[in-house]
Amino acid sequence: MDSQATQDEQQKKVIDGQARFNGSKHHNSGDSDCELAWIAQAKNGSQSAFYQLYEKHHKPIYALCWRMLADKDSAEDVCQEVFVVLWQKINNFRGESKFSTWLHSVATNVVLGHLRKHKNWLQRVFSIEEQAANVAEPSVGLTDDSTLTILDQHIARLPERARLVFVLFAVEGYRHEEIAKMLKMAVGSSKSQYHRARNLLKESLTANDFVSITEEFNHE
Amino acid sequence: MNNKTPQEHIHQDKIDGNRVVSEKTLAEQVAILPNEMMPERDLWPGIERAINQKSQENYDIKKSNVFIPSAWAASIAMVMLMSWFTFSPAINEQSTSALVKNNEQVNPSSGQLVNFMQQSFKQQKQTLLASYGQPSLETLPAAMQIELTQLADARASIRKALLTDENNVDLLNLLDFTQQQELKLLQQLYRQYQVI
Repeated sequence: MDSQATQDEQQKKVIDGQARFNGSKHHNSGDSDCELAWIAQAKNGSQSAFYQLYEKHHKPIYALCWRMLADKDSAEDVCQEVFVVLWQKINNFRGESKFSTWLHSVATNVVLGHLRKHKNWLQRVFSIEEQAANVAEPSVGLTDDSTLTILDQHIARLPERARLVFVLFAVEGYRHEEIAKMLKMAVGSSKSQYHRARNLLKESLTANDFVSITEEFNHE
Repeated sequence: MNNKTPQEHIHQDKIDGNRVVSEKTLAEQVAILPNEMMPERDLWPGIERAINQKSQENYDIKKSNVFIPSAWAASIAMVMLMSWFTFSPAINEQSTSALVKNNEQVNPSSGQLVNFMQQSFKQQKQTLLASYGQPSLETLPAAMQIELTQLADARASIRKALLTDENNVDLLNLLDFTQQQELKLLQQLYRQYQVI
């Protein structure tokens, strides 16, 4: 268990670099004057300033939505919802963190809220096991998207919980404690889901091309 | 510098005889994940529509929030006017408005006029109550007590406003109107309830 924890930390160190590179969780440098002006104007109700903020941030936010939801249409809808929520909550931004960091946390909450609503509906129809199996299936048309990286295509095929934990930890740079709180799970569960995701990804990446990994998931 | 693509990394892992992709390869692939993705459709029109709709909703809510207290105030004023017109009291004493007119001829300062109006009102009220044998207003029904209190509060507020705007004729007239209303309500209550 100790070696697993050490491995986790090493992995985290490598991944933290990416989180910083992405300008997400741990990015502490200040916002540009231009961006601060847009924020101030948007707080005063300027839609043109808000459009500038949208232009600057919608692509990273869409990437976050896409990775968490693994579905293009849902990601587009939720990305729109994120910016509508941003318009309503922009006055809550006090400048204590970088704007993109704050926006990513807003987006993460909106995505998780969307998933909870969707899940509540699904749970009335399917059992949890059936639901998990359905989520684990590759999304139709996803593999044909040549604009996605190989890893993104494999992340999309992960079971929902493993995918969320992997994206939040490895890509967005959240800590397991934070993820556990967001996903309403134990810290240990977050760590185990992360290991599960990593192992599944390693196995699926090893396979040639895009061999369906559902069978491997079913063996778990 | 390693210029291999992620796919080349995976193939290399296989050539090296690894059963699965290594931790290092996975970490490297995570590190090169693109920061951005481009949505297929233009998301802005939908966002713009939604925020305009939300702004309109917020405006409507604010408007209705303003309307509710106004409606309450209008209702109270309406009830007071209705009760006044219904019972049509008649006071023969010299009204304050007459005093205002008389004093306009003398042309005193507005501050003096307000004090004079206040004193005159007190005298008229005292005379009225004395004619009814100094009744206790606490025996009035609660609703009537509230009305009298509201009139007294209104009178106090108008007086306060006149302290900063002494030459406001509308406020002077309003003070006069409020005082007369209070006197007429007292008289009407005596006739109706015979309790004071």
